[in-house]
Amino acid sequence: MTPTTPGLMDLTRRDLLRLGGAALAGAALATGPRPVAAQTPKRGGTITLRMWDPPHFDHMLTISYKTHGVLGFTHSRLLKHKAGPGVVPGTFPIEGDLAESWSQPNDTTYVFKLRRGVRFHPKPPVNGRELTAEDVRYTIERFLTVKGNANAYMLKDLDKVEVLDTHTIKFTLKQPFAWFLDMLANPIATGIIAKEVVDKYGDLKKHESVIGTGPWMLDSYRPNVGLTLVRNPHYFVPGLPYIDRVEIIVDEDNASRMAAFLAGKYDVGWEFPGVINRTDWVQIKDTLKQKRPTLKLQEFPANVMGHISMRADQKPFSDVRVRRAMSLAIDRQGILDAVAEGVGVMNPPVPAALKDWALPVSQLGEGAKYYKYDPKEAKRLLAEAGYPSGFPGTICFATYGSTVVVDSAQLVIKYFKDVGIDAKLEQKEYGAYVSTCFYGNFPSMAFGPQTPFLEPDNFLFGQYYPGERKNQSHSNDPVVADMLVRQRRTMDPAKRREIIHEIQRYLATQQYYVQLASGVYIGVWDGALKNYGSNLGYDYGGRLMAAWLDR
Amino acid sequence: MRQYVLRRLLVAIPSLLIASVIVFSLPRLIPGDVVQLMLEEKAYAKDLDSLRAKLGLDRPLHVQYFEWLGRVARGDLGESLWTRRPVIAELWSRLPVSLELGLLALGFALVMAVPVGIVSATRQDTLADYAARSMAILGLSVPGFWIATLVVLLPAIWWGWSPPIHFTEFSKDPWAHVSQFLLPAFILALASAAAVMRLTRAMLLEVLRQDYVRTAWAKGLRERIVVFKHSLKNALIPVITVLGIQVAQILGGTVIFESIFGLPGMGRFLFDAINQRDYPVIQGVNLLIVSVVVLINLVVDAAYAWLDPRIRY
Repeated sequence: MTPTTPGLMDLTRRDLLRLGGAALAGAALATGPRPVAAQTPKRGGTITLRMWDPPHFDHMLTISYKTHGVLGFTHSRLLKHKAGPGVVPGTFPIEGDLAESWSQPNDTTYVFKLRRGVRFHPKPPVNGRELTAEDVRYTIERFLTVKGNANAYMLKDLDKVEVLDTHTIKFTLKQPFAWFLDMLANPIATGIIAKEVVDKYGDLKKHESVIGTGPWMLDSYRPNVGLTLVRNPHYFVPGLPYIDRVEIIVDEDNASRMAAFLAGKYDVGWEFPGVINRTDWVQIKDTLKQKRPTLKLQEFPANVMGHISMRADQKPFSDVRVRRAMSLAIDRQGILDAVAEGVGVMNPPVPAALKDWALPVSQLGEGAKYYKYDPKEAKRLLAEAGYPSGFPGTICFATYGSTVVVDSAQLVIKYFKDVGIDAKLEQKEYGAYVSTCFYGNFPSMAFGPQTPFLEPDNFLFGQYYPGERKNQSHSNDPVVADMLVRQRRTMDPAKRREIIHEIQRYLATQQYYVQLASGVYIGVWDGALKNYGSNLGYDYGGRLMAAWLDR
Repeated sequence: MRQYVLRRLLVAIPSLLIASVIVFSLPRLIPGDVVQLMLEEKAYAKDLDSLRAKLGLDRPLHVQYFEWLGRVARGDLGESLWTRRPVIAELWSRLPVSLELGLLALGFALVMAVPVGIVSATRQDTLADYAARSMAILGLSVPGFWIATLVVLLPAIWWGWSPPIHFTEFSKDPWAHVSQFLLPAFILALASAAAVMRLTRAMLLEVLRQDYVRTAWAKGLRERIVVFKHSLKNALIPVITVLGIQVAQILGGTVIFESIFGLPGMGRFLFDAINQRDYPVIQGVNLLIVSVVVLINLVVDAAYAWLDPRIRY
């Protein structure tokens, strides 16, 4: 199928301009690498951002982006994702953070050499002592063993961590896991901490325990008001960061943050991760053109992908013809028109936003046709499967406090009804939804957005491997399972990519989940903010580390 | 008078007790379960029961209620289920913000309502009266949060100006501190001002038709004396009662206005607590609000008796 709105992977600069970027005169538009302006960076200044009030500050005891977003400023990891204007949004090249270098003697062993002279923030109880391999070992072990770490599965293939010397650490895996380095680089995983801090406070929930080796230090925190971060004078990269202060403001009202952004009080877009959603953008872009003419702009697809999961282990969804009919019944572009000003990308099983790994829908081969809107064919398939008048069902659902999710769900119901599937929304409160339907515990169908991961393994292995907790559709397909394991064992990225493409082509024919389209983020930032580039993911701090202010 | 106040104090106790039952039970009726919410954050569902037991939520509701009441009597409102910080300490740090907003709003409401009500009554059926009544209808019928949204957005679109977004302590910058309250307090005051203005007008009109006022006019007294000395005091008695109710409305309004204007008061605290089903916080904030309302009503009743010597209970 050829989607009516092309995937941004396929877009040219001209296409992007047509999509809405032209609204900002002089804006720097690109999805591809751009040359860094040949200017000398300036030290100093304060950047003001709108973020959220973290539920607490222990990154291993929450899956909340509200916590992980803040700790991206204060904590280092072994590895990190490259950032800056040269990085194409949706790609996540890895580089060393605390690790100076690393080697992989065999498929299950990784050895990391740590930078020397890295110091924790000068706060009690660590008082700026030097980081050692023992801190990394402690952090990883706490990550794996602390009760309540919902992300511990990310490193579940890890067998042991050994300190070889003060600055060398060895990881041994139970089996080859090609995504291991990506997991270490992921900002929601392992920010390195000091044991003394956990010993002193019991956990890391209090703001006083925000002590890392990152570029900024937490200076003050007031619940519901905001956080102030100040430059870490002993940061291990000489000269960085350039920006002295980061003011994070907690602003929960959309009108107030929109007004504040229009008035120039925020330096980057107020939504996560530094973006404006398209509906707000359409409303204010003309005003912005006048009020903030130097604003920079970058558009890229969102990795938040909604999907309909179903009990593929039970009738009627065990019949592939029914699943295909469900996919054909949905007008994805119609939903985009209704909820995202008509602009978005069609998602194959891996979100189109993950440029390195997703296949454009048009290249899904035989399965591509099931992403079309074809209610007639859907009815034919349902009749062929023995459901000429459709069937009843429920869709487990939570609003997420989002009108986009609510409107999308109602349209899904409407499209299903058009082909005879009489689905009713069974709305659950968010917590109840996550603890039941999000983990596959529902009788018929479920609908909702997926966690915005940065690599395809979570979208594939997590959702399709038999017995995985997030395998909401209860799919149990040996062909898929074999390919999922194979991609995890394949270290060569090119070969792994081919397997991941193969998986997507196969999954497109099976439709264990009906994927919906994603919107397009509009990354915006003040013209005075130099050497900055938008991207997906929680690593705000990483993206601002080498940025500077020209004002 | 002293006996009357004492009697009113005694009546306040059962009111507070009934309120405490409602305050304790209502949060439990909101769909959604704090344990499930907390486990979503931590996502280890098999521990659902143990977490419920750890938080003391597994026991019968009445047992939880009496235990909570016992602690409240000792001045302990419990700990937040999420942050494990004492609710009373959190309340003390947020109460000044809400009080400042509420008192300022009440002040604005009075300053707007009483003079306009007087003008409207003494100039009945004139242009000024029609204008005042129209404004009052508008103030009563347009939701405050909608006015607030417009007031926040329109200046930003027209002039690139928006209200302060960063809360400033009084000790750091007194003017910045006060200025961030002016706009929300003014908008918060509008609905109350409208109600008070209409009542002031109606009461004053009624009093102005009384025989003793007609006598005052007949004696040739000046308008200022007739209105302010002979009529206003009597007319304001019901207005003072309504003001007590307005305090409750204003306190309720802080929940929305503190969210829109980024003020870290009790309203925001309550709003977040409801979202997170943080029962001890919801109970603590509501109990405080109920107590303040009961206290204000007590003061209002006492003032009522003092203003009108005919009132004896």
